[in-house]
Amino acid sequence: MSAGGRLVSGRGLVRRFGERAALAGVDVDLAAGERLVVLGPNGAGKSTLLRMVATLLRPDAGTLEVCGHRVPDRAARARGRIGLLGHEPMVYRDLTALQNLEFFASLHGVAGDGDRPMTALDEVGLLARAHDPVRTFSRGMAQRLGLARVLLADPDLLLLDEPHAGLDAQGARLLDAALARGRAGRGVILVTHEVERGLALADRVMVLRAGRPALDEPVGDRDPAAFRARYDELVR
Amino acid sequence: MSPPAAPRRTRQFLALLRKDLRLELRTRDTIVSMLLFAAVLMMIFQFGIGSRTADLETPDGLPAQVDSITPFTGGILWATIALTAVLAVGRAWVPEREQRVLDAMLVAPVPRGVLLGAKAASLYAYLVAVEVVVLPLVFLFFVRGAGAGSLAAVALTCLVANLCIAILGSLISGLALFARARDVLLPVLFLPSLLPVVIAAGGATHAAVQGTIDLAEYRGYSLFLGAYALIFGLVAYATYDHVFDD
Repeated sequence: MSAGGRLVSGRGLVRRFGERAALAGVDVDLAAGERLVVLGPNGAGKSTLLRMVATLLRPDAGTLEVCGHRVPDRAARARGRIGLLGHEPMVYRDLTALQNLEFFASLHGVAGDGDRPMTALDEVGLLARAHDPVRTFSRGMAQRLGLARVLLADPDLLLLDEPHAGLDAQGARLLDAALARGRAGRGVILVTHEVERGLALADRVMVLRAGRPALDEPVGDRDPAAFRARYDELVR
Repeated sequence: MSPPAAPRRTRQFLALLRKDLRLELRTRDTIVSMLLFAAVLMMIFQFGIGSRTADLETPDGLPAQVDSITPFTGGILWATIALTAVLAVGRAWVPEREQRVLDAMLVAPVPRGVLLGAKAASLYAYLVAVEVVVLPLVFLFFVRGAGAGSLAAVALTCLVANLCIAILGSLISGLALFARARDVLLPVLFLPSLLPVVIAAGGATHAAVQGTIDLAEYRGYSLFLGAYALIFGLVAYATYDHVFDD
């Protein structure tokens, strides 16, 4: 990790898709153990920022360090310390839950991967369905399996892109509970449209608007309703 | 916080290959469509070329004494395999793309060379599975007067030519993965690059099925195939890491 205990340190990040700038000069920092929620309307650049931090997109300009490694030059060293969960669980529907976790355990070189996948399934309440194909799972169960896939490798940095999308209330609660059990020192960046849920899970909030940060400050004890009004004002 | 120990590449390679084969065994999407397509192609060749052999002429303009289409076997076999391989290459990343697994794989500490190497290995396995069915059919319907030695020689040609097809296929399928017009781009890139393989493998097959094997010709074409596989193996090794760069 870089000096200062930062998991993510980005300065002046720019990313263009053709003529359009999805990110137009964003600074982002995340300390170990910190939880950052990134809010903003559609097209604000939230997912672009997350994919950049996940080493899946190169910045067109600016500098970025993830887990102490310059990206994209040394992105390969940062990978494996990052866990990424999107609105899709990113697992194979035709494999069983256990086969999926065994596969990802092998890719990540998870030590003692014989027991670890079963333990991970137990942690998300899917042990009884270990040998069932994922295509037989409900949306919420598949997303919990996605979470187990991410937590399997015990990442230092957890990147979540609208992980609650499409989940019912119970599924969302289970996901939040699993996220809340995170180990000390793990940094989390959560991209979401859900202002109240984002504030409840985070220490710091960033609001993006048209690829630029409109707000970046600690969550503190702020009143969600008051923040909602301010957020609506910011993104109008 | 110390970085995790680098997972062994062999273990990652085997996990990727096992996953591809497991998915194929469960869905049978790729091999079944390859087999059906190969059967249809051979039928078209049989009717298209078989009925034309009587029209062939000698250089003097006299009707040629052609009583079988054995001389065309190399072309028929390798045109069939090349076109069938397009299906496998086109489907190579379909589960990852459709089920959005690719990002999870790209964030894992897997060298891109291992990802594409495993994809090449699964393509190789699919080709072998198809050839196990197609090769005896080709000998049954198109070849006259050749023995088990010829069959073994053509099988050996398949094993070497498959290497070229699998390496090229994995490289080009990776390159086309993020392209918008990938369904068009893939055959347009893949088939021309395969032309030298079709010519050499067709030549080696031709040398092997003419009653007695023409060893000099067979060796020449086989060496060319080996060299092609080696060169493209090196090209792939040098470029695989950049294939997934956005």
